Amino acid sequence: MERMARKIEINHDKCIQCVGCASVCPVMAIELVGLRMKTYPEKCIGCGACVRVCPANCIRFVEKRE
Amino acid sequence: MADYDYDVIIIGGGPAGATMARIAAQNGQSVMVYDKRKELGEPVRCGEGLGQREVVAQGLDLPRWCFSTEIHGAKVVAPNGKSITWKSGDTKGWVLERKIFDKWLVELAVEKGAKVKTYHRVTDLVKKDGRIDGVMVSRWGGEPYEVRAPLVVSAEGMEAMVARKAGLKAAATLYDVDTCYQYEMKPYDHENLIELYFGNDVAPRGYVWIFPKDARKANVGIGIGAHLTNWKKGGEVDGADPKLLLDKFVQGHPQLKDSSVLEDFGGVISVGAPIDSFVKDGFMCIGTAAKQVDPIHGGGIALAMEAGIMAANVAEKARGKKDYSEKVLKEYENVWRAGPGKKVAKRLLLRKVMEEVNDDDLNHIFNTITDADLQKVLEGSFAGPVAKVVGGRPQLLRVLKALVS
Repeated sequence: MERMARKIEINHDKCIQCVGCASVCPVMAIELVGLRMKTYPEKCIGCGACVRVCPANCIRFVEKRE
Repeated sequence: MADYDYDVIIIGGGPAGATMARIAAQNGQSVMVYDKRKELGEPVRCGEGLGQREVVAQGLDLPRWCFSTEIHGAKVVAPNGKSITWKSGDTKGWVLERKIFDKWLVELAVEKGAKVKTYHRVTDLVKKDGRIDGVMVSRWGGEPYEVRAPLVVSAEGMEAMVARKAGLKAAATLYDVDTCYQYEMKPYDHENLIELYFGNDVAPRGYVWIFPKDARKANVGIGIGAHLTNWKKGGEVDGADPKLLLDKFVQGHPQLKDSSVLEDFGGVISVGAPIDSFVKDGFMCIGTAAKQVDPIHGGGIALAMEAGIMAANVAEKARGKKDYSEKVLKEYENVWRAGPGKKVAKRLLLRKVMEEVNDDDLNHIFNTITDADLQKVLEGSFAGPVAKVVGGRPQLLRVLKALVS
């Protein structure tokens, strides 16, 4: 069954690749790959730790189909 | 161990990984360091301060090109603007150029025979009979391939992805990290002092720092408790925000308000406890990945290098015994906890006590003690200044007791 879930989205224009989000993500749903932060929406549990820790204020939630 | 590619694979070419690589290579081990960054030391996520005592203890002679300027003292500013200053005739530390310093440490390891590959990301661990036996590594964008070694070391820094995949509890919680923002700014005329600004309006559970750099430059940064930030709905800021607070500080500073920003940095620093366990069968975790960080100022370079040396020495014993079991590798953890770990534990206690000090208390302390008192404290004579402070505010005794014990 399809449902909507809260998932993170990174604004790469504002991101400074500090990896703060990856450091506090409890489920390893974000990681630095190459020169960009990569997200794994299927792992994200919507806890918001990354949103709060991001010093560049570049992560926010979006509603996505799961 | 003929079927292994290397004696040890180190993940991460920062101060911890490079130091361990240097000592292990010096011991005659074959060492491979993988760093996922395109360039070592980049991006900088750090205030770049390093105490002199630590470097001397490492037996390293820091070349002139690795640091920007020398530190000759400190100035601490209370919420009410009152400050105390301590100046020393000689060098107490350096503000580094991390991009150059990190590369220099790696070069020292390479000179001893260690191999390094940048832009290579370790994607997973290889396990055999339940123990870690190598890694899967991918040159950026490429297919991961297997590389084997009896010992894999995580020196990955804060995110500690591979350490977590190894089963170590290396994820940080919001309460135990500070979220930081920093500008490199110019012009800033300084006296080679480290400046620290305290206050709940300036930086809740943290402080603003100004670290001097050469050519009229400075690193101006802020760290605040990450648990004090709040949801940002639709991109709007609700709670404390490090960048907004830093901008406010810069705007209110007589000199910096007209200065330019040459570089933006950001990051999180650990201000909590080291992780529960540093080792597994065939696996070690060193430096910031193991949260071996000073919980007061978040500095990790000196501790990382120290852990690198300890880990390399134990790795050498394991090679001699042909036994890389958790039991053998545990010696590294025991040595660390009995040495630097004790200091870190004490500093963590102090940090937690300091959180109880409010702006009023801080103002009181700064109104009471003088530059001369600070000098006495730094020379190890606490009794006089402490009596002065506690005289007006006995509830501070608990905090100051933690400071001097």
